[in-house]
Parts: sequence; C-alpha cells; structure tokens
Amino acid sequence: MDSFFNQYGFLIVSMTFSALLALSLYLPLMAGQLSLASPAFYAIGGYIAAVLSTQIFPVESGAPFPLERLLLEMLIAAAVSGVLALLVGLPALRLRGVYLALATIALVEIVRVLSLNLEITGKAIGIFGIPQPFATKLDYLWISGVLLLVSAFFVYRLEHSRMGRAFAALREDELAAGAMGINPTTTKLLAFVLGAMLAGVVGAVSAHFLNTWNARQGTFDASILILAYVIIGGSRTFLGPIAGGLLLTALPEVLRALAGVPGLPPLAVSFLQDGRLIIYGVLIVLSTLFFPQGLITPALLRRWNRKGRA
Amino acid sequence: MRLIRVVISSLVVAILLSASFALAQDVQPIKIGVAVAQTSNVALFGQEQVIGAKIAEAYFNEKGGVNGRPIQLVFQDTAGDEAGAINAFQTLIADTVVGIVGPTLSQQAFAADPMAEQAGVPVLAPSNTAKGIPEVGNFIARVSAPVAVVAPNAVRAALNLDPNIKDVVVFYAQNDAFASSETTTFQSTVTNLGLNLASVQTFQTTDTDFSAQITNALALNPQLVIVSGLAADGGNLIRQLREFGYTGVIVGGNGLNTANVFPVCQQFCDGIIIAQAYSPAAESEINQTFRELYKAEQGKEPPQFSAQAFSAVQVFVEALIRLDNITKLDTLDLATQRNLLNLSVLAGGYETPLGMLSFTPTGEIVQEQFYVAQIKMNADGQTGTFEYIQ
Repeated sequence: MDSFFNQYGFLIVSMTFSALLALSLYLPLMAGQLSLASPAFYAIGGYIAAVLSTQIFPVESGAPFPLERLLLEMLIAAAVSGVLALLVGLPALRLRGVYLALATIALVEIVRVLSLNLEITGKAIGIFGIPQPFATKLDYLWISGVLLLVSAFFVYRLEHSRMGRAFAALREDELAAGAMGINPTTTKLLAFVLGAMLAGVVGAVSAHFLNTWNARQGTFDASILILAYVIIGGSRTFLGPIAGGLLLTALPEVLRALAGVPGLPPLAVSFLQDGRLIIYGVLIVLSTLFFPQGLITPALLRRWNRKGRA
Repeated sequence: MRLIRVVISSLVVAILLSASFALAQDVQPIKIGVAVAQTSNVALFGQEQVIGAKIAEAYFNEKGGVNGRPIQLVFQDTAGDEAGAINAFQTLIADTVVGIVGPTLSQQAFAADPMAEQAGVPVLAPSNTAKGIPEVGNFIARVSAPVAVVAPNAVRAALNLDPNIKDVVVFYAQNDAFASSETTTFQSTVTNLGLNLASVQTFQTTDTDFSAQITNALALNPQLVIVSGLAADGGNLIRQLREFGYTGVIVGGNGLNTANVFPVCQQFCDGIIIAQAYSPAAESEINQTFRELYKAEQGKEPPQFSAQAFSAVQVFVEALIRLDNITKLDTLDLATQRNLLNLSVLAGGYETPLGMLSFTPTGEIVQEQFYVAQIKMNADGQTGTFEYIQ
C-alpha cells in the first residue's frame, strides 16, 4: 500500500485540485452564468504563491516551506482574485450566455499574455524552484483534501440557502427572478466572485505542488478541460463537478496503469499505452451521448436517497 | 446506472492491480526509463527522441548490453504538460528503473525533476536547454547543451559570411520558453560582437501573419536578422521576410534546426544559418554507425533530438558498464544502484554521436564540438539539406 501511495500520491492530489477547479466553475454556473474565467484566477493565484515564496519569503534550499506562509499565500490569492473578480465581473456580467463565456476567455488570454511579458512572472520560462511545504506529494492532501471537503460542504449548504435558491431562480429565469425581488447583478456577482476566490486558492497551492509555475498553466485549454469536468460530471448538483474532476483526471493514468497489467497480449499493451488518449476521448464522447445531463444528476441522487431509506 | 458501477469498480480494481504488480516484476534486464512527450503538441520532438532511444536500445543490446545483461527501455508518455511529466516520472520510479531519460521540455523538467531527485533516481535530460536544469539537484544532468553555448556560433558564422553586417534585428516567439531564453543569448552576442541591436520584435508561435513586425524591422535596414521560434512560425516568418524584399543574412535558432522547416518556407529557406549541437556529418565512428542505423530505419538524416536521446541512453549504458566492472550490479539493492549510477554518470567521458561528452560535478554537459550549418534548398523548393560551414 505504501508504494501505491508513493506512486499515486501526486495523482490523488491532482484529482482533488481538478474537483476544486470544477467547483469554481460550477459556482457561477449555479446562477446560470457560463464563465470560463477560473483558469485566469487559478493562474493569478499560482503566480502570487510562486512570487511570494521565491522572492518575498525565501527559505534555504532544502528546508521545508512553513505551512502558515502557505496558508497566508492562499488568503492573499483569495483576496486578490476576489477583488479582481469584482472589478471584472461588474461589466462582464452584463453579458449573457456565450458572450459572457467569450469575455471570460478574453480575461484568461489577458492573464496569459501579461505573464508572458512581465519580468516578475518569469516570461515564457516562468518561475521554478518553488519551495515545498511537505515531504511528499501525498501530504498536500492535508490542504487540498480539507479544502475540497470544506468547499463541497459550503456549496452543499449554499444550494439549500436563500442565496442558493436565488442562484437557481436566476438560472431558470432571470426576469422572473428579478420580479420576485432578487437583485440579479449582486447575486451573479457573488457567484462569480466566490468561484474566482476558490480558483485563486487552488492556484496558490498548485504552484507549490507542481514545483514550477508558468504561462502554460491556466490557459484556454484548461478552461475547456474544467468545463468538461462539469459537463461530464453533471451541472445540476455540486457532486457532479466533483465527480467529473476526480474521474477525468484519474482516467488517463488508470489507462496508463492498465497497460502495465501483466499477461496482456502485446497488441493490447501497445494499444493501451499509445492509444490511451484515444480511449479517453472516446469515453468522453460516449458519456455525453449516454449521460447528456452528466453522470450525477439530481434525479439520480433522489433515487439513491429512496433506496437508502427503503 | 449499472454501467457507472461497473466502470467505477473496474477502475478501482485496475489501480490496485497495477500497483501490486508493479512491485513483483522480473528483474532480469536492466530497466532504464524514457519519459518524453509522445503525445500533445510537443510530440514532434518526443517522437524523434523515442526513435533515437529505441535505436540505442537495439544497438547496445546487440553489443552485449551491460556485460551480458540486456537493457530494457521503459517508455512513459509525459504529454506536453507538467502534471503529465510528474505522472510519467512517478510511474517509472515505481517501475524500478535505474535511471530516467527525459523529459522533453525544460518547464516539465522543473516540475518533474524534483520528484526524481527526492527518490534518488538519476535523470539525463535529452533536450532541456533552459538555465538552471542541472541545478535542480544532484541526480539531474543533461546531454543537451544550454542555449547560451550553442547560439553565439551562428552569429559569428554570419559575420564570417558577410563582414559588413552592422545593424541587427532580432525576432523571437515570446510564448515559447526555448525561444525566449535563446533570444537573450542572441541579443547579448550581438552587443558583445560590437554590432548594433537595432530592434527586437516579438511574435507568438501560433501567429501566421508577421507583416507588422517585418515592416517595423525593415524600416531599420538591417543586414542581419535573427529568428528564434519553432519550425512552423519561424519558417513562415522567414518566408514573409523574403517576400517583403529582405535580402540580408538570416540566422535561425535551434527551433528551426529540423527538416520540417523546408516545406514551410520552401525556396526562401535557402541560406538560413543555424547553430547546432549535433551534425550527422560528424566523422566519429559511433556517429556514423548511428547515422546508418537511423537512415536504414527512417530513410533520412537523423535530427538533433534523436541523436541526443541516443546519447543519453548511451551515457547510462556506459556508466552502468563501468559501475558493473567495479561492483557487480546484481549484488546491489536498487537504491544503491541508482546512487552509484549517478556518480558513475558524472565521472565518465563518453564518445557519443554528439561528440565527446563529459559532465561538471553539478551535471552540466561539457560538449567539445558545435556545428554551424546553412540550409541549401533543392530546385524543387520542397527538399533541402543542411550544409556544414563550420
């Protein structure tokens, strides 16, 4: 079991990060806002942690990075992402549907181009040698696992709160929601800011986790990937994005591991090894065909609930 | 719903199975890991590295492996991102390899190399050229010469060709890590040689239209243009540069050091000067053997990436042989094997297709010979050759 965690510690933590990023995209989606901005805040959070830990709070090479500083970086990343989301969200959220998605993609691009040009972000090479707060990658689970549990609980409670119902009302019909006394602007803005803060915090931990941070993190590709987590997992309950993030991040590595199972004919091994991304793609297409609402839907949860009670 | 349950349970079983079987594998051949980008947008380079490594595996096993024990290369795809590189490294480390050749990109190396360093597994980077790679740790070394060493040769060769060069314009792909670190070397070389760095123009590797930058550049009447980019964008830029009427000398960075650039700029490729860490024309016996093997398999001259991957495997094999001559490998446990292999790699000198190689104590490559080539296009405008001028 020890060697299992040694080998897959990184993957397990990556899975939780993906689930968190999926939640950060799910938050604005709860209020019906298709925002692809999460990677921008993820990138900003990462740069904040990378710059702070390599330049402002340097530790001797080899020495562990103090945990309280990591927590401080996460706080700063959340605050900066939140304020930026407020500034960007006010004008951007006047747009709807695809147009909002386009505006948020523009934000992702702006962050990428800025980080390629600024001296402080290390231009195209990025920042490397980011100090490690933990001895092994699996230990990051203390941060990411707790963060996932807390955010999942938060979103779960949110879904049943007054604000959560306001999100749902906005999602279903903005005009009707407005007529019932819900302020669309502040409600949407809140959902957007919450998602941005979560993405920023995840970025801050990720920078340490990956040892390095550069402009290839949090690009448009990441936007689409995170959107896929939500779509495949299911976009109507908080469990959907979490499941999608966990599953889609694990899948390529599970396929890689399958190729290593002894006793397989060589053809199957080489197909699993070289074709694993093809299989991955096919599985995604199949799941959208057979589960158009995502893997986890409110209807499915109700059925599980009934079965549990029976 | 049953489908989901089946999928999830089979995934769990698969993870557990693979983990437990990874422990109990046959230890006969000596396993060397190769973690390069076999997929993603970097695959063009990674595939060339796979070919080079496979040729090395066959060639050295033919020669008797490590004192009679064959080597076995274990390939794991890193794709083009940092997480992929870390996953591939972790899989290889658990797969009891004695050393790892990889990853393809410097940025991936900054993410994945610390994992190998922590596990005490020697890494030879076949194509990481950024500053700071060997400094990641004691177990990290590279067979790819850093850009700062290779690039200046091309500018000197250009000056030999046209001593009247005064004004220089530098172009670079600002979203590419290699191009943006190479350009700082080019720019400082230009100033050090007493030339006038008239302007620095930037582009993106995804760009197709370079007219704005070219107009800016040509207004300054440069006699030398230096381009750091990748094959597609760099080739297109050079083509448009010539179409806009530029007639001076062009120096290309290492990203253009591939035959893939010929179909892009066609007859306009003619005359580009490129500094290289590898030349297929090098006369050493090992290089000519490698060249013949490569040509027999692929029907063309070996590219630099293949030669570097071959050399990385060769360094591991020769270091293993040297180690085995002192203490029999099978008497050592895996951790000691990895540890001693690292020391053995750093201590030796190697006659590789890249020329004579050795390492500094930190793992930086000491390469004795570099080459400068000039592209000569054939009359059909589609094919060409690199002719060595230095």
